[in-house]
Amino acid sequence: MIRQISVFVENQPGSMMNVTSVLTEAHVNIRAISTFDTPEFGIMRLIVDNPVRAKEALTEKGFVTRVSEVIGAELKDEKGNLNQMLAILADGKINVNYIYSFVIREGKAPVMVFSTDNYEKAEKVLRAADVKLVEEEEL
Amino acid sequence: MAGVALENWVERIRDPKIECMSRDEMADLQSKRLVDVVKRVYENVDFYRKKMQQRGVEPGDIKSIEDIEKLPFTTKEDLKNNYPFGLLAIPMKDVVRVQGTSGTTGKLTIAPYSQKDVEVWGECVARGLTMAGLTNEDIIHVCYGYGLFTGGMGLDYGAKALGATAIPMSAGNTKRQMMCMEDLGATAFACTPSYALYLAESIQEAGLVDHMKIKAGIHGAEPWTEEMRKKIESILHINCFDIYGLCEITGPGVAQDCIHKAGLHVHADYFYPEVLNPATHEKCADGETGELVFTTLAKEAMPLLRYRTKDLTSIDHSPCECGRTLPRISKFTGRTDDMKVIRGVNVFPTQVETALLSMGGVVAPHYMMIVDREDNMDVLTVMVEVDERVFSDEIRKLDALRNKIGAVLKQALGISVRVKLVEPKSIQRSEGKAVRVIDNRKL
Repeated sequence: MIRQISVFVENQPGSMMNVTSVLTEAHVNIRAISTFDTPEFGIMRLIVDNPVRAKEALTEKGFVTRVSEVIGAELKDEKGNLNQMLAILADGKINVNYIYSFVIREGKAPVMVFSTDNYEKAEKVLRAADVKLVEEEEL
Repeated sequence: MAGVALENWVERIRDPKIECMSRDEMADLQSKRLVDVVKRVYENVDFYRKKMQQRGVEPGDIKSIEDIEKLPFTTKEDLKNNYPFGLLAIPMKDVVRVQGTSGTTGKLTIAPYSQKDVEVWGECVARGLTMAGLTNEDIIHVCYGYGLFTGGMGLDYGAKALGATAIPMSAGNTKRQMMCMEDLGATAFACTPSYALYLAESIQEAGLVDHMKIKAGIHGAEPWTEEMRKKIESILHINCFDIYGLCEITGPGVAQDCIHKAGLHVHADYFYPEVLNPATHEKCADGETGELVFTTLAKEAMPLLRYRTKDLTSIDHSPCECGRTLPRISKFTGRTDDMKVIRGVNVFPTQVETALLSMGGVVAPHYMMIVDREDNMDVLTVMVEVDERVFSDEIRKLDALRNKIGAVLKQALGISVRVKLVEPKSIQRSEGKAVRVIDNRKL
């Protein structure tokens, strides 16, 4: 299980940069980023190397943040691998709220980050199928 | 297709004896009625008796209209504190009707009427309809809302007093409005000016202008400009009239302008107007802007002494070209408080605050109201800051929150509201009195 930071941003010029500049000043490394947008506002979701420091820095600058747990599953960079992982979750009747991906630099293996309502079960079925789950120390 | 140019206008006056009375005769009538109303409230309303005693004034001290300055003021706050029927001067069994409007917080401002009050109300509106050139032969399409709001019933009573035909359409459903207006042969219509313009443009777009028999529009309940009036008049080829009133005093028909558009004639035999400096409460000279204050001279159910409307205007006592001597108040230049009239509905920032707080700490009480006019319709946007307590990682939850805030505000204000979620601390914090409303309407 890894921790993700979500930040509320208004949909207007510079709003994402305001977030990244706070993280830069706090010496936090961004590992993955994904955004969701509506015409008026958006949510930035971030995986960083130090979520505690990131949250402190953002809160101090007045951003609304929320830390939530997500699962990071490492996949082999081969055809059909994402499909296979999703099939495992589907078979386990586990709902995936959203999913995005990033790459761990050294290993070059793609990591899929996803949010679900049932982490324990998701972890269990993925481990049972020998899918490697990423831990925070590895970020 | 029946607008009348000023040179061809035939002025009709419903009650020339009153409406064209000399100033001395009017002062006599007002004095007689003031003495009577002061006696009635002193005897029947605890609130006024106590207030007068505090000022050391007895009914016997009030001998003429000049003595009105000795009387205490009444404020919207006083109405709130005596909600709902604390200021009633007659037994409840003699109240035949209650109307209402938004108060400064969740509660309504209530206006009870006796049978005679309803008749006076209709009479005053009928004077206005006559000012607009209408007679008992006219068919008046009323698309003001019917309900607690005084617009619909007020125009209805006016049409009844005049002996004209009232079509009680109420608000909304523009297609149906146009169909009835055309099919039933309406010769006049009454609604808020913003809806009048919207309706006029819809009629024009549908190519129905030539099918209509409309000759006059009676519009009020929200501020409007001369440009709006000219636009409605030119689209429909009609004459438009500005009607003013407030529920606490009686509803629409307190004042209205005539074809000369030289200010709104106040029915001063029933509603005595004073224009006062809002800070010093000194009487303003004619033409000088101040707060409009009304005393209801003949109201039975809930007479009000020196009720502070918070509307800013000036007064002109000189006779009008139409022949009336009734004093005229100018178009309103603003308010002494932060009330906004949006689509004919009074909206106070405090109502928004109360509604947000009623959500039990779900949202921060930091908000900003923005009033715009889009396609001639008023639009209220309320910006609400998102804080840690409500922020969710999921769009659908934020959308649900926004919809919930929208529903709570709609319930509280009586109009639909656009809710915009904004970043925390993005709403300007001000020292002292917070600015809660930005009005972008060019009024």
